[in-house]
Amino acid sequence: MLLKEKVAIVTGASRGIGKAIATTFAKQGAQLVITGRSSAIHEVASELSTHGERVVAMQGDLREPAHRREVVMACRKTHGRLDILVNNAGVLIHGPLGMTLLESMRDAFETNVTAAMALTQYAIRLMSPARDPCVINLASFAGTRGQEGLAIYAASKAAVVGFTLSTAKELASQRIRVNAIAPGFIETDMTQALPEAIYRTMTERIRLGRIGVPQDVANCALFLASDLASYITGQVIGVDGGLLA
Amino acid sequence: MSQTKLARCFAEALGIQEQAVTDELAYQTIKEWDSVRHMALVAIIEQTFNVMLDTNDIIAMSSVGKAKAILAKYGIDCDAA
Ligand SMILES: NC(=O)c1ccc[n+]([C@@H]2O[C@H](COP(=O)([O-])OP(=O)(O)OC[C@H]3O[C@@H](n4cnc5c(N)ncnc54)[C@H](OP(=O)(O)O)[C@@H]3O)[C@@H](O)[C@H]2O)c1
Repeated sequence: MLLKEKVAIVTGASRGIGKAIATTFAKQGAQLVITGRSSAIHEVASELSTHGERVVAMQGDLREPAHRREVVMACRKTHGRLDILVNNAGVLIHGPLGMTLLESMRDAFETNVTAAMALTQYAIRLMSPARDPCVINLASFAGTRGQEGLAIYAASKAAVVGFTLSTAKELASQRIRVNAIAPGFIETDMTQALPEAIYRTMTERIRLGRIGVPQDVANCALFLASDLASYITGQVIGVDGGLLA
Repeated sequence: MSQTKLARCFAEALGIQEQAVTDELAYQTIKEWDSVRHMALVAIIEQTFNVMLDTNDIIAMSSVGKAKAILAKYGIDCDAA
């Protein structure tokens, strides 16, 4: 068990990559606080509880500052500490720049960037240097390389990269490791929502010849969260099947 | 000082004697209370009083006296604690 006695918060765990990360962490012995907007988060919590670890579900919108605080407070109340924060919740905005509403831009940044930054602010106060604590942020290939039709989303993910690199430096003195995962093209509701043409072009560019599955990303998150990665900080790790190679 | 619990937080976070913790003790007036220790202080206060402070309050917590006033907003009476 790679995460025995570790306490983790995983945001956006009601489906997709977040659910796979939470499931993998639970199987590896972690106690969890998981979040999501829909009531599905409670079903995920009951599923995960069968692995024997304590799982608390927090349903709410991370664009709401009060909810971010409630999530970390719930972790304090239930577990008394925190070892791993996974900032996974995210939204994809796609479409030509000229046709993107200001409201959508704000939405993307509030969910993908501000929520992650604010949660990290709260979370690090529950982390103890002695327990090899870490933060894992979900970036994207779009944020490191850019992608037409995804300008706003890419900008928000580039912000996640900048935040990761800077906090890795700033928090190293507290022994908190901060890394990001930049998934390529992973089969979830998010990519299903993309127009057929983008979907086809993207999958054709994957060198390993298959679209990724949430477990591919969860495996990387598990490694980064575990003591196996205790000397790794300030990295943005691509999980993309060679999409960019 | 009567707010013993709070004084203990300051003493532990800043690495100073409890007797040195007076209401007037202010941020960045002693070398021990710098920005790094300030965050450690916040963590210990939150742990001790089971609260989660707003960033505004963390910035405003510029003296022991101010810390007492801020904690009062969260329903914590340091003189009783
Ligand atoms: N899939 C990919 O190919 C890919 C590629 C690169 C990066 N990523 C990144 O990986 C992360 C997970 O993506 P995914 O594909 O698993 O996405 P997904 O299937 O669309 O799931 C998104 C998750 O985020 C939650 N969420 C969204 N907005 C929220 C909000 N305002 N407040 C709280 N929760 C919110 C959703 O909760 P509800 O379901 O309850 O609404 C859901 O649990 C995202 O950060 C995404 O940008 C994904």
